Amino acid sequence: MNKKLLQKTLRYYIIFSLVVMLLGVPLFFFINQWLYLHEADEALQVKKEEFVKFFVPQIKENEIAIFNKLNSDLHIEKNNEGIVKDTIFERNFYNHMDKENEPFRILRSPVTINNKSYIFSVRANLVDDYELALITLAVFTVIILILLIGLFIITRRLSITLWKPFYETLKQIEQFEIDKTSNPKLIANDIEEFNRLNNTINNLIQKNSSIYQSQKEFIENAAHELQTPIAIFKGKLENILQRKDLNSEQFKLIDDLNNTTTRLVKLNKNLLVLSKIDSNSYYEIEKINLHEIINNQLTFFSEQSLSKKISITTEIEENVVVSSNHFLAEMLISNLFLNTINHNVLDGQITIKLTNDKLLFSNTGSLLPLQTEKMFERFSKSNPSSQGNGLGLSIIKKIVDTNHWTINYNFTNRMHTFEIVF
Amino acid sequence: MKILIIEDEIEIATSIKNYLSSNDFVCELASTLKLAIEKIDLYSYDCILLDLMLTDGDGFKILEILKSQNKTDGVIIISAKDTLETKIEGLTLGADDYLTKPFHLSELLVRIQALVRRKQFNGNNVITFNEIEIDTISKSVKIKGNKIEFTKKEMDLLLFLIGNKNKVLSKSAIAEHLSGDMADMLDNHDFVYAHIKNMKKKLKEMGAADYLKSVYGTGYKWEDE
Repeated sequence: MNKKLLQKTLRYYIIFSLVVMLLGVPLFFFINQWLYLHEADEALQVKKEEFVKFFVPQIKENEIAIFNKLNSDLHIEKNNEGIVKDTIFERNFYNHMDKENEPFRILRSPVTINNKSYIFSVRANLVDDYELALITLAVFTVIILILLIGLFIITRRLSITLWKPFYETLKQIEQFEIDKTSNPKLIANDIEEFNRLNNTINNLIQKNSSIYQSQKEFIENAAHELQTPIAIFKGKLENILQRKDLNSEQFKLIDDLNNTTTRLVKLNKNLLVLSKIDSNSYYEIEKINLHEIINNQLTFFSEQSLSKKISITTEIEENVVVSSNHFLAEMLISNLFLNTINHNVLDGQITIKLTNDKLLFSNTGSLLPLQTEKMFERFSKSNPSSQGNGLGLSIIKKIVDTNHWTINYNFTNRMHTFEIVF
Repeated sequence: MKILIIEDEIEIATSIKNYLSSNDFVCELASTLKLAIEKIDLYSYDCILLDLMLTDGDGFKILEILKSQNKTDGVIIISAKDTLETKIEGLTLGADDYLTKPFHLSELLVRIQALVRRKQFNGNNVITFNEIEIDTISKSVKIKGNKIEFTKKEMDLLLFLIGNKNKVLSKSAIAEHLSGDMADMLDNHDFVYAHIKNMKKKLKEMGAADYLKSVYGTGYKWEDE
């Protein structure tokens, strides 16, 4: 799934923060605890040394009971256990004030009072481990939350201000179409990387546009330049045809050449039309009454379809008005007609249907559906031996695209149908 | 009739000249704008065939000069440019007709004839070919004085054939004349047969001689017997 830059950044931040928290909380807890115990032990040792230094020389045996009574955290008892070394350990004591068990650190140390062996014990109240862990976790969570909120706000601000040129560029490129004349205007900014990006994109676009432009011009010029030699060729053929000494065979050859020239002219014309649509030569848009155009051409094409004995049925709604260039609309209809006639069979059928939102041209023809993936590409021919040049459907598609319409093809009941949706 | 062919492509110019010469036309060639200007200064022509893209300038210049000298020579532009703008510009500058290259010479011939008719007879004219009379204004055809019902297409066809009398016409030339720009988009020109058949039948019924000959099965020729 694609994520926005901001989401992605934040996700990494969150993951990192969680890792820090998971590792940090126990680590902090243990270090803290260790330090705390260390300090507590040191304090107990100091207290013991104080006791040994100041109390032991003065204290009398009968004062021990009073001493024990007055000091809750200090205690002297007879060394019945016979310990010889200091021992430090933890033990819970019930606190009557808090009414709960509280952990204590206790130091037991052998002392000698009046040549008798006693055990001096000193204890210190410890903070509850559990509470300590909770507090640490809470503090950490708060810190990390503050950190995350801060990061979120900063990243947002950054993405809005810092990444602004990037998003501007993105928007411009998204709107860019190579066959349209306007190039994107990428605004210069003070971030080196984005300027580099913009410059690179600009260079790319310029390079591609100029390649596209020169290719377009090349096709147009080539088609245009071809017209003169074709005209010469055609003229010569027509003059040869007038020679009195032609025999049947020669005449047939010249006639074949004539037909080939016609194909050449057609090819050239179609290429010119395509390149002119590309170069936006037919930009004047007007309201077109499609049924008028169809009816105007119907007479001509009915005549054309006679030789194949094709029957044409029409179902045309009147006053279907679309926005298009007039020439392109005529070109579209005539190419659809040509397509349905040229690829039709003897005694075939053509159905034309025009409604408010679509135009359908159906015809009988090959018994198999056409291959759709390449059908609209230039020079793609379903039947390589046909007289067509494979540009008719390209022109239809181009006009449909230019007018922002859509075209669909389907093959049902042995009828090939092209449907144009306005 | 005098024709001036202003065309820098010498091959095209000679083809036109060859084709037209056998039809009572005298053709002169001018391959540059300079030569053309000299010629129209000195002589007047029934028709000028004008190419727009000349090596030393724009053919539109000729139209301006003709206009400034108040000359009434008919002008047919023959150009590879086929944009509507160029056509409109040419016609508003005073050209009488516009033919896009490549064209059929037979088509050019009937266009010249039509232009000359309009210029010389102020448009009021009847073409006579033996027993056939064609009134190009009222668009009617008479055989031996009897009116004959012709469709617009048949009438067009007849004018084209008579205009190109004694010339061999290919089916594609006839098709192009009958269907204009659309002809070279068509895969087959069989519709020409139908029109010719119908026209021949009508002419025969009215007692006209059979002037239209088929040439080796694929061409046609209107022959003056």
